[in-house]
Amino acid sequence: MLRFSYNLLKKYLPFKESPEKLAEFLTMYLAETKVSYYQKRPILEVDLLPNRVSDCSGHFGLLKEIAAILDKNFVFPSVKIKEDKKMPLVGDRIEVKIKDSSCRRYQMRAIWGLKVKESPLWLKNTLEECGLRPINSVVDAVNYTMLLTGQPLHVFDFQKVAFNNKKPAKKEIIVRFAKKGERILTLDNKLYNLENNHLVISDTEKILALAGIKGGKSAEVDEKTKIILIESANFSPEIIRKTSCQLNLKTDASYRFEHNLSCDLTDYSLDLAADLIQKLNGGEILRGKIDKKSGQVIKKEIFISFNDFEKFAGFKISKKLIKKNLLLLGFNLKEKKNGISAFPPSLRTDILVKEDIIGEVLRIKNFNNILSQPPQAELVFKKEDENWLLKNKLKTLLRCFNLYETYNYSFISRREKELIGESFKDSVIEVLNPTSELFSFLRPTLAFNFLKNIKDNSRFEDEFGFFEINNIYLKKKNNFKEELVFAGIIYKTVKDKNLLFEAKGIIESIFLRLGLENEKYLFKDFSKDNKYLAILKKGGEIILEKEKIGIIGYFKKDLLKKYDIDGQAVFWEIKVSPFKKFIFKDKFLSPLLKYPQTKRDLSLIVRKDIPVIKVISIIKSSPVRYLKEAELFDVYTGQNIGKEEKSLTFHLIFYSSRKTLTSEEVDKEMEEIIQNLRKINAVIR
Amino acid sequence: MNLEEIKSQAKKEIEAVKEIKDLDNWRIKYLGRKSDLSLFFDNLTKIPLDQRKKEAQQAHNIRLFLIDLFKSKEKDFLEREENNEYLDLSQPGIKKEIGHLHPISLVLEEIVEIFRSLGFEVIEGPEIETEYYNFDALRIPETHPARDMWDTLWITSKMLLRTHTSPMQIRYMEKHQPPFRIIVPGKTFRHEATDASHEIQFHQVEGLMVSKNINFSNFKFIIEEFLKAIFKNNILIRFRPSYFPFVTPGVEVDIKIRPQFKEQKPKVNQNEWLEIMGAGMVHPDLYKIVGYKEKNLQGFAFGLGVERIAMIKYKISDIRLFTSSDIRFLKQM
Repeated sequence: MLRFSYNLLKKYLPFKESPEKLAEFLTMYLAETKVSYYQKRPILEVDLLPNRVSDCSGHFGLLKEIAAILDKNFVFPSVKIKEDKKMPLVGDRIEVKIKDSSCRRYQMRAIWGLKVKESPLWLKNTLEECGLRPINSVVDAVNYTMLLTGQPLHVFDFQKVAFNNKKPAKKEIIVRFAKKGERILTLDNKLYNLENNHLVISDTEKILALAGIKGGKSAEVDEKTKIILIESANFSPEIIRKTSCQLNLKTDASYRFEHNLSCDLTDYSLDLAADLIQKLNGGEILRGKIDKKSGQVIKKEIFISFNDFEKFAGFKISKKLIKKNLLLLGFNLKEKKNGISAFPPSLRTDILVKEDIIGEVLRIKNFNNILSQPPQAELVFKKEDENWLLKNKLKTLLRCFNLYETYNYSFISRREKELIGESFKDSVIEVLNPTSELFSFLRPTLAFNFLKNIKDNSRFEDEFGFFEINNIYLKKKNNFKEELVFAGIIYKTVKDKNLLFEAKGIIESIFLRLGLENEKYLFKDFSKDNKYLAILKKGGEIILEKEKIGIIGYFKKDLLKKYDIDGQAVFWEIKVSPFKKFIFKDKFLSPLLKYPQTKRDLSLIVRKDIPVIKVISIIKSSPVRYLKEAELFDVYTGQNIGKEEKSLTFHLIFYSSRKTLTSEEVDKEMEEIIQNLRKINAVIR
Repeated sequence: MNLEEIKSQAKKEIEAVKEIKDLDNWRIKYLGRKSDLSLFFDNLTKIPLDQRKKEAQQAHNIRLFLIDLFKSKEKDFLEREENNEYLDLSQPGIKKEIGHLHPISLVLEEIVEIFRSLGFEVIEGPEIETEYYNFDALRIPETHPARDMWDTLWITSKMLLRTHTSPMQIRYMEKHQPPFRIIVPGKTFRHEATDASHEIQFHQVEGLMVSKNINFSNFKFIIEEFLKAIFKNNILIRFRPSYFPFVTPGVEVDIKIRPQFKEQKPKVNQNEWLEIMGAGMVHPDLYKIVGYKEKNLQGFAFGLGVERIAMIKYKISDIRLFTSSDIRFLKQM
């Protein structure tokens, strides 16, 4: 954000617009602008976009833009230097050597016999309005010049610059890279250690300034100064940015140079500054100026046909409007057959391609005055947006189970990372520059997000469930991997031994809706090396076609304790990608059954450690013909049965596709099943 | 019993019926399969032929009479029963809970559906991105101050958490030839201090439409149609200059709630223009960077802030609520 003095602007261009109106115009045509007041004097705070710093960081540049917006013309005021004919040429007193092409232009003038004072009030006011601190009448004059033109300038006390021993009459200014170990004490009394990629201004003995960033103490202009050198130079944006980043030193000068100022700006600014200094401080301006260039500024010509304008904009723009808008912005134009050759104004280093120029015509026309037209576009057949559709399907399904969807942070804290245990640790990705310790690592699981969610919400609710469909992040050696998962928890304050099965039920329902019948997948005990064992107890893995696709289990009690959570919670985390191949398959429906089904209940008592899946497989493997389904619907442990036993109750469904089964036929089948269950010593109740 | 006796006895008995279950007994007795009337019909053949028709007719009439009798009595009973039941409609309904989708999911889905209806394809991209795709290929070299517009969370010196969804412009164009139109919804990250309007993670939807003749006027049309659709035409829209190195000219799109839709006591500051997306015409350098041979390509790109839209749509005043996972917040959707 740069501050511009409304009164200073008005001094150079008569306009009627109030500060607020002007700010509104600038916002609509250039960049977001707000009005503030400094001691009741209006200030325009312009949030310049990076491409417009090169031409608009000074009041004159901004005026050029304001004039174009207001359909007026503005030319930079001319400056006439009063050089003293009797004084020597500046080149006789000083020699400038440029050792690297990152100094693209270096100009200098000298003033003899001036007197440094306190600046007059008008100058101090303007500087303060624009956020600069007045120092003395010489430094203030160059800073003021910068406010006008945008060109940073620097002044050296000539007498503090070392003599060149070989040429006693001349002093030398050298633009070179620092040597490793060299240091500079800047004007604000800070010491910087320099590297050999930092560009400096030096004499034959010492460093005088950090090129384009900040002056040094060694040649500071103070109240005793009588002779000054004014530097007006241009440095490549890359070198300034690099140095200022490395030294963590941002200044008004570095900000401007970083944005690629035009090399054409130095000459005018130098004269403007010299003239102002002389007016304020007296003294004689030496004849001529030093002007060293290493890079050539090329006048760029860009040809645009009238057809290009129409094709890009989508409607016909009159030649007249094109020319008018570009001339207002300071372009030089040459009309050619079918088009126009444009030469961007020299300060506009941002104009590089013809689209930039067409954009400028549209901008000054005002984007809001451009008509909108539907595209005449080719009909393109989309591929299925599979990933997106799958995610949405999952969300819609999960929501049916009374779960809340969350969007948690993708980050976990250092403390949480420690909780994961060794097995997870190597796969956790660290953020090099986290904004807070809480966000130090990318989450390798959603478990920690949910733990925090449980803690936060258990104050208000006794039971609830969450789900989230988003990425987890894992590192495998040096590869970073994102995995889309659907994860969730169910939490209850009171003990519920069926909590895991509630979650499992949700998962099974979803699997079925995604096109996976239960023969395709399997819930299996954790393998010993499963990394989730660090946080889960009692639970297991979900296997789909031999691939481990997820886990489910109770959070460990001590982990809950660490989060201050009472009660219990079941967590699941399942990869989404394996489902892609199922969900988009066609589904086939079966015809309705011809004959009625017969349903029988079967209650039996078995040893606790016999898994239900085993009991079901024994039921199903009995020598029977009509059994279609064996569904568990109740599990009981407790009173009336042995401590090491459990009671299971199944619905058994019998069906024949050729007839209605008689009761005798079903009885016979039941008998066979009961016989078979003897294998596991099941007692029928 | 002869037919007339059946009739008169049935009539007498039904008058004495006081409860609906007794009515059923009556029905069985007089209209059931073993009732006298049914027996009469069963034995119809035993009746001499000359009387048969007449008696059958009489029996049929009695049967119809009894059915009517039954129905009207039954109706009386049902009405009486209903009249005795008092319904208090002010009593609340029995709660049937279903879950709640997150506001971001809902807004994202709405955005995506609007663009899908305009023929845009949905593409997704990686959240962990390379410096090349996130910056360099988009004309934001490290040496350019424009990079300061994107404060970045770094994973390694070359890998980062994407600061915008724009890298997918490059990734997509590298593999596909125009014409196309895509949107890229996704999570993005910034190195930022969090407060009511800033978060370190948020969502964007990137859009990219390129062909030989997509022009600025088309760009305006698509953006306007989208904004009108998502805000149900309750807003004013303005376009103003902006700068992103991968487009030229760069455009910022602002919206403002239309005066007639403002609330008496606004929650969000409704008098201000709110930035809703950055956009512009695709910079021609990008076509070279992705290796297109075709000249004369034109198109537009945009990136819109999903949280921003959700905040305006649902009048949410603090962006941090989205990541809070607070049931009191989530419940409201």
